[in-house]
Amino acid sequence: MTQDIFEAWAIPSSVVVPGATSDSAVAPELSIRSLSIESRWLNELTDILVEGSGRLKNRKARELARILGTVGSRFLKEGDPLRTKALELLPQASGLSVQMARVVLDGMAADWAEDRLLGLLENEFGTSEGLDGFVKQNGCRTMAIGADLCVQIVSGSVPGVGVTALIRSLLTKAPTLLKPGRGDVVLPVLFMQALAVVDQDLADHVAVLYWSGGSSDLERRVLDRASVVTTYGGDESVESIRALTPVTKRFVAYHHRISVGVIGSQALTSGLVEQTARDVAYATAVFDQRGCVSPRSIYVESGGDTTPQAFAEYLASALESIENDLPGGHLELEEAAALHQVRGAAELLAVSGSPGGIYHGEKASWTVIFDPDSELRSDHVGRVVRVESIENLSDLIKRLRPEKEHIQSVGVAGMGTDLDEFAEELGRIGVSRIAKFSGLPFPPPRWHHDGGSPLRDLVHWVDLEEVGG
Amino acid sequence: MAPEELDGLASKLEVRFSADFTSRWSDLEFEELALHAFNVQFQHNPVYRRFCEGRNAVPTSVTSWQQVPMVPTTAFRYLDLVTGDHSSVRMVFRTSGTTSTTLSPGRHLVSRPSLYHASLLSNFREHLLPDAEKIKFISLIPSPAEMPHSSLSYMVGVAADTMSSEVQWFVDGEGVLNSAGLINTLNDAALAGEEVLLLGTAFAFVHWLDELAGRELRRLPPGSRIMETGGFKARARDITKEQLYKSLSMTVGLETNRIVNEYGMTELLSQLYESHLTQPNELQEGHAPPPWLRVRALNPTTLEPVAENETGILAFFDLANLGSVCHVLTEDIGQVIDGRIHLEGRFPGAEPRGCSRAMDELMTSSQVTRR
Repeated sequence: MTQDIFEAWAIPSSVVVPGATSDSAVAPELSIRSLSIESRWLNELTDILVEGSGRLKNRKARELARILGTVGSRFLKEGDPLRTKALELLPQASGLSVQMARVVLDGMAADWAEDRLLGLLENEFGTSEGLDGFVKQNGCRTMAIGADLCVQIVSGSVPGVGVTALIRSLLTKAPTLLKPGRGDVVLPVLFMQALAVVDQDLADHVAVLYWSGGSSDLERRVLDRASVVTTYGGDESVESIRALTPVTKRFVAYHHRISVGVIGSQALTSGLVEQTARDVAYATAVFDQRGCVSPRSIYVESGGDTTPQAFAEYLASALESIENDLPGGHLELEEAAALHQVRGAAELLAVSGSPGGIYHGEKASWTVIFDPDSELRSDHVGRVVRVESIENLSDLIKRLRPEKEHIQSVGVAGMGTDLDEFAEELGRIGVSRIAKFSGLPFPPPRWHHDGGSPLRDLVHWVDLEEVGG
Repeated sequence: MAPEELDGLASKLEVRFSADFTSRWSDLEFEELALHAFNVQFQHNPVYRRFCEGRNAVPTSVTSWQQVPMVPTTAFRYLDLVTGDHSSVRMVFRTSGTTSTTLSPGRHLVSRPSLYHASLLSNFREHLLPDAEKIKFISLIPSPAEMPHSSLSYMVGVAADTMSSEVQWFVDGEGVLNSAGLINTLNDAALAGEEVLLLGTAFAFVHWLDELAGRELRRLPPGSRIMETGGFKARARDITKEQLYKSLSMTVGLETNRIVNEYGMTELLSQLYESHLTQPNELQEGHAPPPWLRVRALNPTTLEPVAENETGILAFFDLANLGSVCHVLTEDIGQVIDGRIHLEGRFPGAEPRGCSRAMDELMTSSQVTRR
């Protein structure tokens, strides 16, 4: 079997590529080649990035949005070699099925287009001019200043997150060192290659480097040089990066998050229930439940036209049919082992007299566990989703509370008119986004990511008060 | 089937476990006992019975032990999978669960301590004391009195009762290590030329070695030995098995081939060991099962056995589990070569689980409170 090799780095043109590299197989036919990084070389690289900060700050934010948008939208254009290459590599590099890789790329890259980026700037700063000079705000003149070096350490569970992160910091005019996750190296590297063609100068402010996680020496070195650090990942990895980061740095943490869904009786009528199930199935399927936006548990109001258990059956058949259009991706051996565990345990619980049930796709990973009493706690692997029944809103809040620090989005359907009150209740326990299921996988670029501001969290403001002559 | 049949089979197995270690049981012999065990579990474990019926696997249709439905280890978190009368349960062993707060710990209810003893004693002797009647036990695993629900503590306690000339415990129920006492005891043994068996989890050893900070102790007599168990992703720092063994061997002056890894979990009442001490002249990698346990590596999608050089999900048929369920599907991965397992999951990068994990958590928390 031939092995394709993908070179997983992009560095400023003035930096010499070190000779030594190492390969690691990510799929039977694809290996990721990464640079063997030595500390001296890394110091030189970060020096160059920091030194270039002044040049980058002299550019206009709108112009950066235009250039980044030009490159970003190439990932959407059918027939563009960049898109073709991305679609060729993604299934192997990320474990997504071919069809799903397409949906994920379309969904992620939609936010990389110029108009979306301009909208993001406007939404965050009112006007992008606040990044280019002092503007009047609340009776004072103020300016947003991006980092001298923004270090972004991103997990690999969802491809595209690395590019989104990179675009965000570049929009704030921050030279950026991005360490993508193992499953997300392809897109940022392709993005940078394409950026270098249209604007080498801008590309020279970025380094994309992959090394295997836990190299605390390398991490400490880059964190020392950064002024802003963002970390995406599981609680333990975010914790370890935070521990390595000096207190003077701004630290933006995107720790472990999950999403859930709530279905009110109005979406359970005989006319609507199948569409509701299809929407939930789509949200469940898109990232094979690996995303922070993926709904792990669906809370179904009891007393509607469709019982929660019957809804679980509708959801199972919707997941079965979506498997044809959007097949599930590859599971690692450990994930497959975990899937057998959760299925077997649910099956045993169901025959032990518990009121639950389980429906699954045999070789396909989709699995619906009806667990009305919230008995089964499991790690989620593949398209595993739990359905629970709830009596009312306070019942829901009670069930969500134990996990509240980790809940990000709530998908909703059929909630009726008291949505504001409901959303506020959810907000109070820490939820940061309420959306319809069909929109759940791909939040708009301006969203308050985990409750924060995607760009404003990366800058500091300088206020220029009236100081007289 | 009368419940006496369960007792009858248990007694028969108990005799076999105690008597016969050296000869590998023939496939036919194992098959017969395994199907008998399935029959008994089907009759006397109602939840398991319904699970099997749901898969159309009933004693009349199941013709080989491989076809017996497997219960996932996770199920022990949710259900008491007792075969026979609940009132006969004598001991409860608990797993530690994992760090995830969302997962409940599992437990294994044991009705026949004597069957468990027969299994663990002959296996322990075979792999750790093939050459000596008794030896001094020096344990970094808390005593069963300190941790009554740990199957690992229990195992060491039962082994010590029959195979130790003396046993000393250096980690208490709070996970606190008595490092000074341990060093003195080891030095005394070295000076007296007394062979010892040092036992501990990987994490306990790492913790101890960190405290020693490179200090070397007197060389233990060469007939001494070490039993190490558990994974290698210690909380304090990551370490490979090779690094740990090298450092341990330097510290106490023993060859690394005097260190035997034990592989066990609360859900299985039998253990598997490396066999350096049993067959010192044959370099055999991997862990050997006792004759009453068979292991397979399964394809992750089909759950059919994989070829010998392929990695799969490990499934065990353990006759010592007669009182619960014999056929258990784990989350561990590895290869099975000539009946021995070559683990992949639990070694570098893997999370330690089960008893070893419980000890790790204990020691981590004690470390926190002491500082």
